[in-house]
Amino acid sequence: MGNLVRSFVGHVRAVATGLRYLLLPNRMTVYYPEKLIELPEGYRGLIRYYPELCVQCGLCAMVCPAGAMKMYVKKGEKRGRPGVNYQRCIFCGFCADICPQNALEMTKVHDVAYEKLEDMILSPEEFAREVRSPALEEGAVKVKVIFSEERGLVHEPA
Amino acid sequence: MLSTSEVVRSRLLAREGGEEVYELFIGPQHPSSGHMRFIVRLDGDVIVSVDPDIGYVHRTMEKLAEGREAVKAIPLLERMTIIDSHNVTIGLVRAMEKLLDVEPPPRARYLRTLLSEINRIASHLYGIGIAGIMLNHSTMFMWAFGDREVWLQLAEELSGARLTHTYSIPGGVRRDLPQGFADRAEKAVRYMTRRLEEYAKIFLENPQVRSRYEGVGVLKKGEASRLGIVGPNLRASGVKYDARLAEDYAAYSEVSFEVPTLEEGDAYARMRLRIEEIKQSMSIILQVLRKVPEGPIFAEKYLKLLPPKLREQVLSTGRVKLPALFASMKLPAGEAVARAEMGHGEIFYHLISDGSAKPYRLRVVTPSFRNVILFRYLMPGHRFMDFPAIYGSLDYFPPEADR
Repeated sequence: MGNLVRSFVGHVRAVATGLRYLLLPNRMTVYYPEKLIELPEGYRGLIRYYPELCVQCGLCAMVCPAGAMKMYVKKGEKRGRPGVNYQRCIFCGFCADICPQNALEMTKVHDVAYEKLEDMILSPEEFAREVRSPALEEGAVKVKVIFSEERGLVHEPA
Repeated sequence: MLSTSEVVRSRLLAREGGEEVYELFIGPQHPSSGHMRFIVRLDGDVIVSVDPDIGYVHRTMEKLAEGREAVKAIPLLERMTIIDSHNVTIGLVRAMEKLLDVEPPPRARYLRTLLSEINRIASHLYGIGIAGIMLNHSTMFMWAFGDREVWLQLAEELSGARLTHTYSIPGGVRRDLPQGFADRAEKAVRYMTRRLEEYAKIFLENPQVRSRYEGVGVLKKGEASRLGIVGPNLRASGVKYDARLAEDYAAYSEVSFEVPTLEEGDAYARMRLRIEEIKQSMSIILQVLRKVPEGPIFAEKYLKLLPPKLREQVLSTGRVKLPALFASMKLPAGEAVARAEMGHGEIFYHLISDGSAKPYRLRVVTPSFRNVILFRYLMPGHRFMDFPAIYGSLDYFPPEADR
């Protein structure tokens, strides 16, 4: 009998807990691409190259664990400039961290899609262009993440 | 000499029992946590034996790591347990530090502990969620995976990446605490504490779940230590062993925490133990946030190799710049071993260097690899319906077992 009572109470408690969230849902879903989460400071997204700061030391290509970064040597120049292959890049950020001139920077953009595989290989010139988020350009609303004791994560317009 | 196909036939298709034993091949598929395959022999619906046929996510990580400079092995090896990526690499970093004879400064040790515990909670939530969906309890799956986002968000703010943190490097960590991190972490802890009570109501104390878990897949204490089981699966059988206590790494010797153990050793105990460990991890996180000392996050030995301007930048921004030495850092000749406690159990590294930049040999023994043998020992005698219940309770992660 005691077992039956315990089991009944257990069922009621489980159903009641579920019902509470049916009435007061606790969703953390963000409706991308209409909404876009603002990424934290120091986020490791696509990389931006600043050629004017670069001393062409090649450390970024040397440290790259995935072999994604390569030095491109122009005709008439002795030392190369870095280009990146986003087919291989793992966004570890070693290249930006080892650069003694801060010529590489990890941006907060990560949602870029490419039409062709070849487009993912960026020459130093393409690498130096500003990185833009397609979602933002399409008019996505930025939302920021707020920690909440009640709901875990809440997303509010930034 | 048997040909390869005969070996495979004899291994996979050997009859155990009479003709009535039915062989069922499960997988290769990716049902929840990674590609796996089991050969299950059934008498009616009673399991006679289970052969875990591992190797479907094998990526030769140990061999790949021998072909590149040691520092480059960190982002590579963290992919073996991507849900627990800091805990999986902290052992490697410790082994490298032993060879290089460098110690991380105190603040770095505390920050390592912080991310390790955030990872442990995320890993346990992943395991609990997967176990939930294996019992068709999709609410538990959704809740655990949703709440895991809270911890991933914290990890992302700390390290800059959601899953592949690459946070510890020889000599320290790469990022300092962001502003207001302690506040957010405390909120996350308070939220999670309340949620764990609800997990108990909807899942662990749910009579349906209890009847599927209690007394199922019992692993006896003696058997657990004989088979070399590690992690929560071992502690749920009453053996108090934890690599955080056994090996002094990060700041575990400076924070107080309990290693929860349970005596029952069944699937239910294993699930409950994970909840207890989450509570302990949250307590460690709060202690770390209170106690974390001021100071550098990168060893002086490497900081002084930076030009003065960069050194100032590191101190002002809290983001480490790597000295040029890191691009081809030579490991002194010798051997080093290190272990660390992951969410799944103890991970062990054996690093041998011949003095060059690349490790001569890098051997990893992962917790899932040690625990996979449980499928052979726990399953026989149970109904086939209990297979997913036991699988879920073991928190087996195939990519980690296969490496």
